[in-house]
Amino acid sequence: MLLSFPVYAIDGNQLLAQIDKNMSPESYETYRKIINIEPDGRKREFTYYTVKKGRDKVAGLFIAPASEKGRTTLRLGDNMWLYVPNVGKPVRITSLQSVVGGVFNNADILALDYAEEYTVEKVEEQGKEYLLSLKAKTKTVAYDRLKMWVQKDRVLPTKIECMTEASMLIKTIYFKDIKDFGGGIVRPAVIETDSPLYKGYKSAMVFAKIKKRDFKDEVFSLTFMPNMESLLK
Amino acid sequence: MKRLLAIKIILTLFPGFVFAEGEYDLELKDLEKQIEKKPYTFTGYLEYHPILFGLDKNASLYKLRYFDHSLGDTLFQSNGAVWLEGSYTKGIATLFAATKSTYTASSIESRGKTQVYTGYLSLKPSPSLTLDFGKRTMKWGKGYAWNPAAFVDRPKDPDDPELSLEGYVVAAGDYIKSLSGNLKTFSFTPLVMPVFDNINDDFGKIDKVNFAAKAYFLFYDTDIDVMALAGGSKTPRYGFDFSRNIGTNLEVHGEFAYITHVKRTVIEDNGATRQKTFDAVNYLVGLRYLSAQDTTYIFEYYHQGTGFTSQEMKNYFSLIDTGHEDYIVRHNLRKLSRAIALQKGGYAAFTPGTDYLYLRISQKEPFDILYFTPAITSIYNLHDRSFQVTPELLYAPITNLEFRLRTGLLVAGSKNSEFGEKPNDYRIELRMRYYF
Repeated sequence: MLLSFPVYAIDGNQLLAQIDKNMSPESYETYRKIINIEPDGRKREFTYYTVKKGRDKVAGLFIAPASEKGRTTLRLGDNMWLYVPNVGKPVRITSLQSVVGGVFNNADILALDYAEEYTVEKVEEQGKEYLLSLKAKTKTVAYDRLKMWVQKDRVLPTKIECMTEASMLIKTIYFKDIKDFGGGIVRPAVIETDSPLYKGYKSAMVFAKIKKRDFKDEVFSLTFMPNMESLLK
Repeated sequence: MKRLLAIKIILTLFPGFVFAEGEYDLELKDLEKQIEKKPYTFTGYLEYHPILFGLDKNASLYKLRYFDHSLGDTLFQSNGAVWLEGSYTKGIATLFAATKSTYTASSIESRGKTQVYTGYLSLKPSPSLTLDFGKRTMKWGKGYAWNPAAFVDRPKDPDDPELSLEGYVVAAGDYIKSLSGNLKTFSFTPLVMPVFDNINDDFGKIDKVNFAAKAYFLFYDTDIDVMALAGGSKTPRYGFDFSRNIGTNLEVHGEFAYITHVKRTVIEDNGATRQKTFDAVNYLVGLRYLSAQDTTYIFEYYHQGTGFTSQEMKNYFSLIDTGHEDYIVRHNLRKLSRAIALQKGGYAAFTPGTDYLYLRISQKEPFDILYFTPAITSIYNLHDRSFQVTPELLYAPITNLEFRLRTGLLVAGSKNSEFGEKPNDYRIELRMRYYF
């Protein structure tokens, strides 16, 4: 059993900002697979292209499978929308819904910087890791509390427990397989999650490419959602 | 080290070789192929959609639709469809097209048709500006089942609101500006819609050029649209809508339309027709709520000032009933022909009345059955208290294959009520769709 020691010399919020910086550049694009794994081992995969700018602007485009192709998602702070080509207009979605089913919800898929949504209440040392206790800044954040384990040497998360206000565990997120994506981006390539609410089910995001890229602010708007394919290179 | 070198050599010689990402095998070649940008896109689906109608031979709308047919208690209809959608991009220009080919067969008719749903050229000189020319849908409004402020779209089917709609031929622009502060986004969408013989001629009066515009604001985390239509094919109309998330699981929305000089032909109590002209207000308020048990509730109240009162609907049903009797007894089609002609004036709408409630409850993956969503939907006419209930099972057992079983089993309503006079007592339909 690891002993925890409170650390007073470290500014938890600065540490959280460093984690965000190490996880992703200020403005970037990424290709990833979102995989839902059923208890019998069957998988369902989605190929998802995401662009992000600043701390609170994220947009995504589903590339595969065919049934999801062309669907786009947008997040501006607490606001989230889904555009389905057949339906033809963006509709508001909420952070606890899931556009892909499985264990990840919209807040996980369109994740913002942690420092944008959480403040650090406590930092503890546990051997080679820090344990951060985070509290949501507002009621509109998907999880009221997070417990985040962070590698001391790389300042990257290894595990996050997402909890309700009453500290009931909603899901656990694991960060695995640290990979050099080029351009100075070294971070976990796999984010996996399970939940006591979905016994036996697992979901994972496997990042294939992460690349710095600048975007105009207008890319992150409802009106641009049907045109996201034009960003692909 | 030697092992790493061997893996590198294998990956160089066989780029499609499976790349093991921890326990997740990632077919790099497969992914590269998926994310490779091509100048063209092509997608679509194949659909088979059989429907069994349980006919209500005493209902007015049955008499109107099937007066010249001799049918049993049920009618089986077999429907097939192919949806094809594609685009081609060169520089700032993209050509979009979507077509739907359908074939319907039943004991009373067999017909096939192909419709162009969209077909337009889109120019995108910058992320802030888009110019579109051709046939496209605009999809204004925030309502789920109804969109009273969608001035330049075909009406939605509240019984199946997510069905694709055919567009209109327009020249439209979109200017977007992102800002910092409480107003985060502003966009402006002006459009011109010509209505002539063979161009948008089902929109309204022909030989008119119509102008419409919509301004969008993301203001204090609330979507707000303000829209207007003028030009003569339809009477001038103005509207606004809003949508906002309240918390992590609740969305609220609303829509309002003020329509001037609405003309309606209604049936008087004595059976005579009268045309009335009035200014009308249509509005909708609704919410979408996700419970902790993953149950989604969509609830809407819709007031349709342009709709028909219960008495006007009752008089219309009486016209059909007496017209049907005239046809059976005297082979006189005069009244039934009048009733058919009046359908175009609004009586044929799925919800032609004035006040409705809509409720849809769907449960994501109950009993741990993945990709299975049962739902139940009800539309309730507040004035005549008639309603329809539609249970539904949606299941996507494998990628790109989807089954939807719906049963409009409980259509309840008394004589002369809206849902009581629908041509079917029940409807069972299975929709099988394969996406490619």
